[in-house]
Amino acid sequence: MDTFLQQVMNGVVIGSTYAVVAVGFSLVFTVLRVVNFAHPDIFMLGMFAGLWSALHVSDNLIFVLVAGAVGAGLSGVVLERVVIRPLQGRDMLITLLATLGVSIILQNGMAIVAGPDPVPYPAIIPQTFIPLGPVSLTVRQLVNFVACAVLLMAASYYVRGTKYGRATRAVAELPEVAAAFGVDVSLISLVTVVLASMMAGVAGVSVGLLYGSAWAFVGLLYGLKALIILLVAGNRYFEGVVLVAIVLGVIEALITGYVSSGMRDVVTFLLLIGVLCFRPNGIFGSYKT
Amino acid sequence: MLTFGFWEPVIILAAINVILICGLYIIALSGAYSMATAAFAGVGGYISAVLTANLDWPFVPALAAAGLGGAVLGCIVAIVTLRMKDFVLKITTLAVGEALSIAAFNIKYIGGANGFSGIPLYTTMTAVLLVAAASIFIAWRVDKSGLGLGARAIRDDLVAAASTGVSLRAVRVVTFGIGSALISIGGALSAHYVLIISPSQLGFLYSLNYIVFLLAGGVQTLWGPVLTTILLSGIPELLRFANEYRLIAYGLIIVAVVMWRPNGLITRSRKPV
Repeated sequence: MDTFLQQVMNGVVIGSTYAVVAVGFSLVFTVLRVVNFAHPDIFMLGMFAGLWSALHVSDNLIFVLVAGAVGAGLSGVVLERVVIRPLQGRDMLITLLATLGVSIILQNGMAIVAGPDPVPYPAIIPQTFIPLGPVSLTVRQLVNFVACAVLLMAASYYVRGTKYGRATRAVAELPEVAAAFGVDVSLISLVTVVLASMMAGVAGVSVGLLYGSAWAFVGLLYGLKALIILLVAGNRYFEGVVLVAIVLGVIEALITGYVSSGMRDVVTFLLLIGVLCFRPNGIFGSYKT
Repeated sequence: MLTFGFWEPVIILAAINVILICGLYIIALSGAYSMATAAFAGVGGYISAVLTANLDWPFVPALAAAGLGGAVLGCIVAIVTLRMKDFVLKITTLAVGEALSIAAFNIKYIGGANGFSGIPLYTTMTAVLLVAAASIFIAWRVDKSGLGLGARAIRDDLVAAASTGVSLRAVRVVTFGIGSALISIGGALSAHYVLIISPSQLGFLYSLNYIVFLLAGGVQTLWGPVLTTILLSGIPELLRFANEYRLIAYGLIIVAVVMWRPNGLITRSRKPV
């Protein structure tokens, strides 16, 4: 029972990072109608931005997290202006291919700069255990979970509670009508990509700290997961994406703990195929394209 | 026997890619851009490998069995995805491919994670070129036939096509069947040339290569994708001297083609399809 609770706990921590990446991914998908395969690589860029600022500037935790956000946010600006904006309105497969090309360039470019193998991350946070009844949590896991929870709450507040958030939801619904009511669609698209990238950047730094390493190809692990979470949940509800992400993290942790890590991805894809067959718009509904 | 020395492997692999792209072209005629090409090819490779290496079948029947297996798989995917909308269909084929890759990873009989090795070498230059020529001919015939016309009508406007009597079910099942059979035969030829097949080759990143070949060439003509397949299969070999930068160049080519030739390299002169 203790093992079970411990695995659930680990799953929730991992699931929360999936949630941050997947929410950014589905935000861009919903507002811009772009399957942004470069999103997980922007997560990777944030991870390395944090790594370099920790090594060369300061290893203050907040500073490193902010550095990750800034690095990822700037790459988001470039991505949106150079690749996504010129391709707006084209078939979804076209933008998917373009962002995939960007993803290949970023991964292999970073592999040349930082080497193709994982790079050790400075141990800013101590690896101490906090006992919590029958289970225990490391400080790193706690920091990772808190960072992700704060990001998700901030994103929820932005989308639901601010003027820009309302404009964002309007663009997601009907871009032409939103433009007719005076919404600057181009600006909203840029802000959406940048915010999603910044969230991913912070999550990247916190995942780097959690595992103690940064890797040029880490995006490969997160890209398909983000896509699967989006497809299983559907993009109507923000909370649906978060819920599916956390459930996926827990399922993965339980299968890894009780069966084998090889079976982990089998279950994930069976889940996806099942959902696409019986709920072709996701469990919680709607991917309008 | 034809011999081309250093160029022989390059030509053989390019010809195998041409076989696969002909299959994908037939499937994509009705707008079903399958993202499981490498997985279908891998299934053909595994079938033929098991039949020849484990059950001592001769090459040609094993190749035919691979084609048949691919056709059955293609028809099943066509029926499952029949009522799905464009985007969901693409993603479902992606998930099917990835699931096949993971399944191969977990089946001990076909080597599991280590892959299937010890496949006999049967594929020759002549065989590959013959099959490639046949595939181009088949794709060309399908393209020009009533079936091809119906499939294009479905791609352009499903409702209008249905109202003039084109059956979505018939078109999808037949094009998926023929296309997947070609893809699986190509995969079997590749397995008998490379002599090893591993589960990761069935994955989504390999399948996307063929989507790149297809869209870079343009879906309006058969010759576009065939041409880009030959070019893009050869370029990585020419860039061997710059190994680390090879994939970056590949990424740049994808972005450049998508940005500047959004309908592909070769397009028809009037009305975009």
